[in-house]
Amino acid sequence: MLVHDLKLAFRSLKRNPILSALMIGAIAVGIAASMIAVTLYHARAGHPIPWKANTLYAVTMDLRDDDPDLGFSEHPEYPPFQLAYPDAKAAYQSDIPIRSVMMYRSGRVVAPENRNVKPFGATVRVTTADFFQVFDVPFLHGNGWSRADDDSPAAVVVLSKFMNDKLFGGVNSVGREVTLTGKQFRVVGVIDTWMPQPKYYDLNASSGFDVPEDFFMPFGWMQALKLGPNGNVNCVSKRARIESFDAFITQDCVWLQYWAEFRNAADRDRYQVFIDNYVSDQKRHGRFPRALNNRIVNVQTWLDMWDVVGDDSRMFMVLGLVFLVVCVLNTLGLMLAKFLSAAPISGLRRALGASRVDIVRQHVVEVVVVGVLGGFAGLLLTLAGLAGLKVLLFSGMLIGSDNPDRAAMMQAMVHMDVPIIALGIALSLLTGLLAGLYPAWRIGRLAPATFLKTQ
Amino acid sequence: MIDMQGISKIFRTDVVETHALRRFSLKVEPGEFVAITGHSGSGKTTFLNVAGLLEEFDSGRYHLDGQDVSRLTDNQRSRIRNEKIGFIFQGFNLIPDLNIYDNVDAPLHYRRMPGAERHRRISASLERVGLTARMKHIPAQLSGGQQQRAAIARAISGEPRVILADEPTGNLDTTMSNQIMDLLQAINAGGTTILMVTHNPELAQRAHRQVHIVDGQIDQIHEFNPLRAASAALGASAS
Repeated sequence: MLVHDLKLAFRSLKRNPILSALMIGAIAVGIAASMIAVTLYHARAGHPIPWKANTLYAVTMDLRDDDPDLGFSEHPEYPPFQLAYPDAKAAYQSDIPIRSVMMYRSGRVVAPENRNVKPFGATVRVTTADFFQVFDVPFLHGNGWSRADDDSPAAVVVLSKFMNDKLFGGVNSVGREVTLTGKQFRVVGVIDTWMPQPKYYDLNASSGFDVPEDFFMPFGWMQALKLGPNGNVNCVSKRARIESFDAFITQDCVWLQYWAEFRNAADRDRYQVFIDNYVSDQKRHGRFPRALNNRIVNVQTWLDMWDVVGDDSRMFMVLGLVFLVVCVLNTLGLMLAKFLSAAPISGLRRALGASRVDIVRQHVVEVVVVGVLGGFAGLLLTLAGLAGLKVLLFSGMLIGSDNPDRAAMMQAMVHMDVPIIALGIALSLLTGLLAGLYPAWRIGRLAPATFLKTQ
Repeated sequence: MIDMQGISKIFRTDVVETHALRRFSLKVEPGEFVAITGHSGSGKTTFLNVAGLLEEFDSGRYHLDGQDVSRLTDNQRSRIRNEKIGFIFQGFNLIPDLNIYDNVDAPLHYRRMPGAERHRRISASLERVGLTARMKHIPAQLSGGQQQRAAIARAISGEPRVILADEPTGNLDTTMSNQIMDLLQAINAGGTTILMVTHNPELAQRAHRQVHIVDGQIDQIHEFNPLRAASAALGASAS
């Protein structure tokens, strides 16, 4: 019967090609609008490291002056998202976390071995040794460095794959030398393709979406080279005075990202007590004037605090779904008109022995066919729409960059993965059914004699 | 074959009630050919729709082929329509985008009949009405007479016990009408009961009996073939 019903469905669609095209088009446009919105939302709302959802935490302390106007986001109740160096250093002393990272983003000038290549600016992550294990960074060659290398500090660096390709043509560069602003470093590792999105470990750039840095070097170089941050710096106390780099790192200015990884929730709670005790102790020295507000939050909460998804993405998704509902209602009207125009044939089929179920099933199959065709057309429209949006919204990110990871990141922002495509197919079927079930049921309820005279 | 006793059918709207059938009683014997006549609005078509289980009735009792069909579910009514009744309409009522073969196939398909058996019956039916060569044509490519023959082929393909024909020659010229009547008489000669609504008195006289309806009631019964009609007339009554 299903094959028969499918044949009837395609015949029916051919009988009224314009009406059929309108129905398929309405579903396609609705699916495309909603799928574009869902894709953009999905790209922003994804969890970048779900396997550490309950073990990896961002550490914050509320160092702000007791000034109600001193907020750092739309949520002034949140503490600053970064730490001052003295507090990060204190937090780093605890052995409660299995791993801890304090770090920041900086920049250096690279002088390539090849004299024909001009020196160029590169981004550098100055970090403690656990960075690579905490964030599960994959290595193509070599490894990171040890905590001892942080302290000495050792003249070693880890390269991104892009930088290894650029400086060494993609060969294993471990053991080779690279010159950063006049200082030579030995390559100890090369990172494989790695691009967590959002770039949760440091959300200071480009609404949270950016490529990882070109170089990673031990944290000890911060003081040894007086390496200032290239990221966000907020001095949260009116007493802060920045007269020199050495003075800056002692002031109540927040500029370091801090992460800790725990074995279990109990350790995380112990660490909260440790941090709170530290802050309480600091209060005796006139720091941390506000009430205790130190937050140790998992990645999802961290992303929520930063509002990575953004109200515009949420609003766009709601509008996309509302538009889909409008398309469903339009399609419902078109289907009702189409089915009623063919009601005499349904009446005839009833006279010939078709049961109500036969008639409803035949029309539901037609509805599903319309939904599938509309969904297929909708997915094609979605791909076209996303390609257009990629140019409109993200092409500016490529200006002045030869890093192919940036183009890949841009592509990821508009990428339809398998779950999204599956959602699109399910949504199109649901749309077709929602639009067509009532008309199909209504046709099935008609008395067979009603339209026979007019057939 | 058909035994109606005191059937009433009222069509209601917000402002008016129309009594289409008033305590209508008629008994038709197996193998009988009965012509139903009457003016427009007399209730002929309503009677045919009730007889063909296309329309429910408000009161009375109806036995079709010995089965009380008064309280059947929609599914049961559909099955009886499919297995025991063949319909022929004035406007042919062929499905316009199906070819003649598929049109004849439609009722067999709803019977869930195996493909080979369906093919045998379709071929036999089309051969009987002389349309074998036209089986791949769509209705619009055929003349009115050919379309009605295709409709007859569809009606007989299911080997029904009774054929209900609603002015089957109403849209045809005299020659075509006679051909269709010849065909219906031949089918009736094979034992199939036929009830035919017609305005044409000459065609009505080719039936065994003519039942004339006025205002939803039987007004007169003419018997043209007393041998066949004798027993049937016993069961008929005008109320």
